[in-house]
Amino acid sequence: MSLVRAAPAGPAARVAKRPEGQRRSARRRRTAGAGITLSLPVAAFFVVFWVLPFCNTVYLSFTDYALAGDANWVGLENYRRLLDDPQLHNSIKVTAIYTVCSVVPTVALALLAALPLARPGKVNGLLRAGLLVPAVMPFVATSIIWVIIYADGGLADTTLDGLGGGHISWLGDERYAMWSLIVMVVWKHLGLFVLIFTAGIQGLDRDVFEAAALDGAKAVRTFFSITLPLLRRTLLFVLVIAVTGAMQSFIPAYLLTQGGPANATEVLPLYLYNNAFGFQKMGYASALAVVLLLVMLILSAAQFRVLRGGEDE
Amino acid sequence: MTPSRTYRIVTTAALTLLVLVMLIPVYVMVSIAAAGDDTDLRGITFNGFHLAGNVADVFGGSFGRFLANSLILSFSVAFIDVALSAAAGYALARLRFPGRRLLFGTVIGTLALAPPMIMIPMYVIVRSLGWIDTYQGMIAPMAVSALGVFLVRQFALGIPGELLDAARVDGAGELRVFRTVAFPLLRPALLTLFLLQFLAQWDNLLWPLLVANDRDLWTLPIGLATFQTEHGTNYHLMMTAALIISVPPLLLLAMLQRYYVAGLTLGGVKK
Repeated sequence: MSLVRAAPAGPAARVAKRPEGQRRSARRRRTAGAGITLSLPVAAFFVVFWVLPFCNTVYLSFTDYALAGDANWVGLENYRRLLDDPQLHNSIKVTAIYTVCSVVPTVALALLAALPLARPGKVNGLLRAGLLVPAVMPFVATSIIWVIIYADGGLADTTLDGLGGGHISWLGDERYAMWSLIVMVVWKHLGLFVLIFTAGIQGLDRDVFEAAALDGAKAVRTFFSITLPLLRRTLLFVLVIAVTGAMQSFIPAYLLTQGGPANATEVLPLYLYNNAFGFQKMGYASALAVVLLLVMLILSAAQFRVLRGGEDE
Repeated sequence: MTPSRTYRIVTTAALTLLVLVMLIPVYVMVSIAAAGDDTDLRGITFNGFHLAGNVADVFGGSFGRFLANSLILSFSVAFIDVALSAAAGYALARLRFPGRRLLFGTVIGTLALAPPMIMIPMYVIVRSLGWIDTYQGMIAPMAVSALGVFLVRQFALGIPGELLDAARVDGAGELRVFRTVAFPLLRPALLTLFLLQFLAQWDNLLWPLLVANDRDLWTLPIGLATFQTEHGTNYHLMMTAALIISVPPLLLLAMLQRYYVAGLTLGGVKK
């Protein structure tokens, strides 16, 4: 950057036989100008809608701001209250269960299905497209479908009854509501992860598999000793986007159960939303948002490491 | 590896079964959407075919208006994001300029952030701009995505440098090199980004819900979310609405699956 500033300016730089160094620094200056011009709009957007608001949230988290009226400084009060808020502790537990119990089965099932599906062919292409249908449908649409499937007299209810299991209030009973949500989410995301895994498998060197097959390695052993290690990067990638996605998942709980019954499905984003826009406790919600944003920033950095990955190999 | 015939037959059968089970909810949606008032909620059998009438009933409300707003939001955000991300992503990948590392750091830092976590700060700023209940308030904060900039940057790293240098030797300025050489080469990545952003905004419930209090600005997701309370137990109309909102994404997928896959697998596959 200092080079750019030291570069000779004005018409002198345009003299035909200038020294190599001068010509290069003139080009650098033009490059810098173009770079700034091209990235300025995005930079401005980021500053206005991400950076400044984030700083503002940090400030609000030290106040009792309530959307209406002034923000009074309360120091660390909001953060202290985070520590002994039983409702928040419930939300953390609920979010942890939701994340683990939706991510693990989806990823495992997706990997299992991707192994045979990665083989090229018309049938496999169709099957992959079929799996992708729920993934592409809007969440609002799939939520309505599942609300009706879980409704009294809906498909889930009548099927269970038909099997002699009696009637269950799938979304209204706090013992089952979370699992009902998880079933929908697994159904929704499976196709996405299958797609990423098949792309990963298709990118692998087929020779390795063939060598293993010639070795007479059994399918299960091939999977654990060859396929899985080679797919490590893809698996990590899927896990990171699945976990960051699940932790910030808002719509399923908002549309299917509104966090109920008895807060059994009140995930963190929903708790944040309710505090900020339901109870208008903006200061408190800001403190929670700051903590969660820091957690997400760490996960975001992890995601980048995975995306960039491979350098350590 | 050449798996045996039995292996292939068994796995194909199992996967076909899985796909069929996965499509049951979609089938239920269509069959209930086609039904009349006296819907059988299970949606296993078709009870008549009243789809056209149901669609008319759904649009008889404000659904036409919501559809228009959804299209405005999705297209605007996708267009702006593509245009701005193309420029910044290219600059980050191929040009040296002061502040480059800082901008890239910001992009990386916000890569995993989803609307629920940042809605409070965004809401406060949009409110102080006086943009509540405006299109620009719904569009602008969504219009630049870290993912978009990142996606274009990754793609732009793969553009052969000779092509850019050839244009420079011909005397083209850097902006011209971007516009005439790089931009056309970036097209696959931009199409992917357009598709991903369109789908994301088409399904965006939270942000419009916060910004648009005025019913005239509601989008389809808000309309659908409040449908339950307005139409009580009119399940066949709810399913019709779900069907309507699902059609555009499914059509897009059918046409552009290749680009969708490219976006999803970004970075997940070793090059």
